[in-house]
Amino acid sequence: MAPNHEPGMKLYVGIWIGLIAIMLVEVFLTYQHLAPRTLLACLLVLAFVEAGIGIAYFMHMKYENPNLFWSLVPITIFVLFMLDHIWPDAFRLARMSMR
Amino acid sequence: MDAGHGTFMEASPYGIESKKLAMWLFIASDTVTFTALLFAYSYLRIGSPNWTPLFKFWPSLANGMVMTIVLLTSSLTMLGGVMAAKAGNKKSCLRWMGYTMLLGTIFAALHLREWFGMIHEGWRLFQNPLGGSVEVGAGFFCVTGLHLLHVISGVAALAVIALGFKRGWLTAGHVETTSLYWHFVDIVWMFVFPIVYLMNAQ
Repeated sequence: MAPNHEPGMKLYVGIWIGLIAIMLVEVFLTYQHLAPRTLLACLLVLAFVEAGIGIAYFMHMKYENPNLFWSLVPITIFVLFMLDHIWPDAFRLARMSMR
Repeated sequence: MDAGHGTFMEASPYGIESKKLAMWLFIASDTVTFTALLFAYSYLRIGSPNWTPLFKFWPSLANGMVMTIVLLTSSLTMLGGVMAAKAGNKKSCLRWMGYTMLLGTIFAALHLREWFGMIHEGWRLFQNPLGGSVEVGAGFFCVTGLHLLHVISGVAALAVIALGFKRGWLTAGHVETTSLYWHFVDIVWMFVFPIVYLMNAQ
């Protein structure tokens, strides 16, 4: 049942340093007077990179059976995608509400 | 009849213990919860023409950076705990879990210090001392409050698991399963920090 080829503390420390470096890049970008939309896009891309590294290595997804990844991740992403697309309906319903 | 239940059970198609699968399913559902809140926050921010950026680099963003480093370090110490638990080194595992709980407590303390500082300045759920949109405070306290609740719950869960592991009624599998939750809380912060803090830098 146990996953194979688990990495050692040396790799984890390297990832930890990398994640801190990404956070510092985010703070640096914040003060580069980018347009809000560009800044948001950059910060989200970096956040997704951090999350991907965290899930793959810290949460060991990379070392689990691929069935786990394919059962969980695409469905969760689909739900989040649909959530994003139906959320503006909340505003439409608010405008249509009785006053 | 002498055979245990295990004789009749199929192997997991995922190759993991059921408690670990349950934690993964919980994490997937909690991801949706946090995402819904962050979407709501983002829509409010875009929809409010008088949104006021509220964070100066010092002390707020600097505090947020320290909190990020503390939480990332706690993930590292949690990994140390899992490795020690799997190696059967109970003493080392408990020490690493102790460090993780300490770092989680420091994170919560830094966060609460910031909250109280903002409340002292006049920020409330529906009150903006800067005169802009009142949803700024509501968004900030709701998003960071839910995350803070997860951190405090995580510290409590780690304490219970550490106690059970020490006394021998919980296994390395329980430590590993709890570590998934702790790393998830860390990963959520990777989104909260840029969206709530950095996008509101003055």
